[in-house]
Amino acid sequence: MNEIIGLIIAAIISWLNFVLIDTYLGLPEEPGVKGADNVGHSIKQRGGDLSGGFFQGNILCSPDASAGTLLASIGFMVIGINGGILAAFLVYIGNRLCADPGYAGTTGALTMTVILTIFCDYLGFKPIMFVVGMVIAIFVIQGIHHPASTKLLGTIARKFNRYTKLE
Amino acid sequence: MIYLISETSLLLNYLITIIVSIAVALLLGMPFLPEKPRRFSWTKSAVFPTAIIAMGILAFCFSINFYWLYDGKLLAIIIGVLSAVFVKYLFRYVFPDSPNAEGGNNE
Repeated sequence: MNEIIGLIIAAIISWLNFVLIDTYLGLPEEPGVKGADNVGHSIKQRGGDLSGGFFQGNILCSPDASAGTLLASIGFMVIGINGGILAAFLVYIGNRLCADPGYAGTTGALTMTVILTIFCDYLGFKPIMFVVGMVIAIFVIQGIHHPASTKLLGTIARKFNRYTKLE
Repeated sequence: MIYLISETSLLLNYLITIIVSIAVALLLGMPFLPEKPRRFSWTKSAVFPTAIIAMGILAFCFSINFYWLYDGKLLAIIIGVLSAVFVKYLFRYVFPDSPNAEGGNNE
């Protein structure tokens, strides 16, 4: 498969995997720790969305589905299916040490392992495409323009009925 | 990826460890699922985190090519039992307790 096309598809799949799982498991609803609260309010002051800001703060302060997706891709690249499952376990330990119940990270890593098994074993993708694709996906959310990306995350949170009730 | 055992056998081992860990956790009196709303619950249950811990430790053993007897099936059963016992009795000594709204869990 052409590397560039594979990379673009892998980035889109990784983006959907981590944003949908993180939103469904309540990241935009409330900040898990004080740091996430500060990030959310800081982004709101700069013209962003509060719920999307909590989302950004939460993925910054503890390993959620974003870290799960990235680590599962790396684990799968290095040692196959066992690496993806091992990544889920390590993300779970990291979550518990960061005062987070750990549902989002573990679920994200496990779903990514399943996706990688399907795409790499049967559809001709390479695991490295998903590693690079996830870096691009997280750069789109965290790296380019916070107010615009948090507004998009806030809209997705409203669709999932996970919009924050805090002010 | 090259495995020393077949991929079907590998998936079967994971299935065995999940089933054994959930069964032993239920026997030890843990609930099957956390209470609602599940995404904010800190309850230890049979599915989460017992099955995750069992799968993780089994994945660790398989990734260093340690399969032991019967293509890893005996290892899957033992790890399933031990992870359920760990979550029931030793979990609180290893991982910190849930932080409550007042801040800190030392009160």
